[in-house]
Amino acid sequence: MKQTIGISDYRISDAPEDELITYSLGSCIGLSLYDRTRKIGGLIHCMLPLSRIDPERARAKPAMFTDTGIMRLIEELLEKGAERRRLIARAAGAARLLENQGAFRIGDRNQVVLRKILWKNNILLESEDVGGTCARTMSLRISDGVTSIRSAGNRYDLT
Amino acid sequence: MKQREHILKALPDVPGLPTAAVRVLGIMDDPDAGIADIMAAVEIDPRLTTNVLKLANSAYFAGPRSIGNLTQAGVLLGSKRIQQLVVAAAIFPVAGKQIRGYDLAPGILLEHLLAVALGTEHLAKALKYKLPGYGFTAALLHDIGKIVLGTFLEIDAAPIVQLAFTEGKSFQDAEYEVLGIDHAETGALLLESWQIPAPIVEVARWHHDPEQAVVDPMLVKLVHVADHVSFECGVGVGVDGLNYRPSERVVKELHLTTTMLEEVACQMMVALETLRPQLLGED
Repeated sequence: MKQTIGISDYRISDAPEDELITYSLGSCIGLSLYDRTRKIGGLIHCMLPLSRIDPERARAKPAMFTDTGIMRLIEELLEKGAERRRLIARAAGAARLLENQGAFRIGDRNQVVLRKILWKNNILLESEDVGGTCARTMSLRISDGVTSIRSAGNRYDLT
Repeated sequence: MKQREHILKALPDVPGLPTAAVRVLGIMDDPDAGIADIMAAVEIDPRLTTNVLKLANSAYFAGPRSIGNLTQAGVLLGSKRIQQLVVAAAIFPVAGKQIRGYDLAPGILLEHLLAVALGTEHLAKALKYKLPGYGFTAALLHDIGKIVLGTFLEIDAAPIVQLAFTEGKSFQDAEYEVLGIDHAETGALLLESWQIPAPIVEVARWHHDPEQAVVDPMLVKLVHVADHVSFECGVGVGVDGLNYRPSERVVKELHLTTTMLEEVACQMMVALETLRPQLLGED
């Protein structure tokens, strides 16, 4: 079943019939984490890099921010039986406006914070489709962990 | 330029806003116009009244209060807010539709228009700038040209996309090159033909080129920034992607920082979330 994940949201599933999907990744970051042995995975759509701009909001909605969101996704997957060393991480999003001159660099910052959090958690980023000016749709198939991207009329898997 | 002529010819056929909304827009500049004038204009249109009340009851505008009728809404929210909500409610039916030419699913453009209006308010607040009463409304109408090009005319976006993405041009420059007109100019001409006040027309016209604005340049700058923040958040991104160029001059003039923009993005999205159930009929 298709499970739609909105902006600033995440979901975890081990139901083989599920496909987790998130639309309209602009400068936001999407991350899929999948344990191939347990066949459990999660997808998150984080909007802004750091929760310090609104800690109260981060407590209510951790997935709004890349730092608190990715931590929550990892913790919940581990609680539900996934193993850290088996987690396959794939990222998409972090698009940029044209002639990005500093102030509008939410995408770049999201990407940096994502890498930092994954590194801190000993999780390697297997593949990514980031940057550019195109918006993306990202999906994770729970039966086999395939992560797909749709962008500018094209569809491809992240391998 | 053939396409430009075709588009200009089609403008008079675009269905206008409900009479009540046009009347409300007309009295926006009138300091003598009171809440009674607004109510009189709105209450004759039941559909509009319903949508105004839906919006008025969102947590963003009403807080924990419950608003049962227009009179109560007027008392609690004030005439400026009601004017803004009337225009927002008036564009519901048309902006809430799928905008095929830009590959925007139903409701997406409406979300973008509201996000930009909310973002403009929050940005003004962050800069300690007092937004004029028509600021929210102008932001709501900034992309009306996309509805014209994407719905009524259903332009073929393929050559525009091709030009924008292969040659690194901004989407509106590519529109201009292919069609001889862009969504900003189209929107402004439409609003002008409806005799909408000049500062609102100007926002639609120059939201991608804020340096050209003369009537209320500050408002155009604020909407320009909020528009780009909304794109970054993925709200209203269609076939055009993030292929737009924020003005370096505006960033400098307004002393914008990344933190400030991220705070505005955060506030804008939180506000939009409180409106979403009313707008899209979601649970």
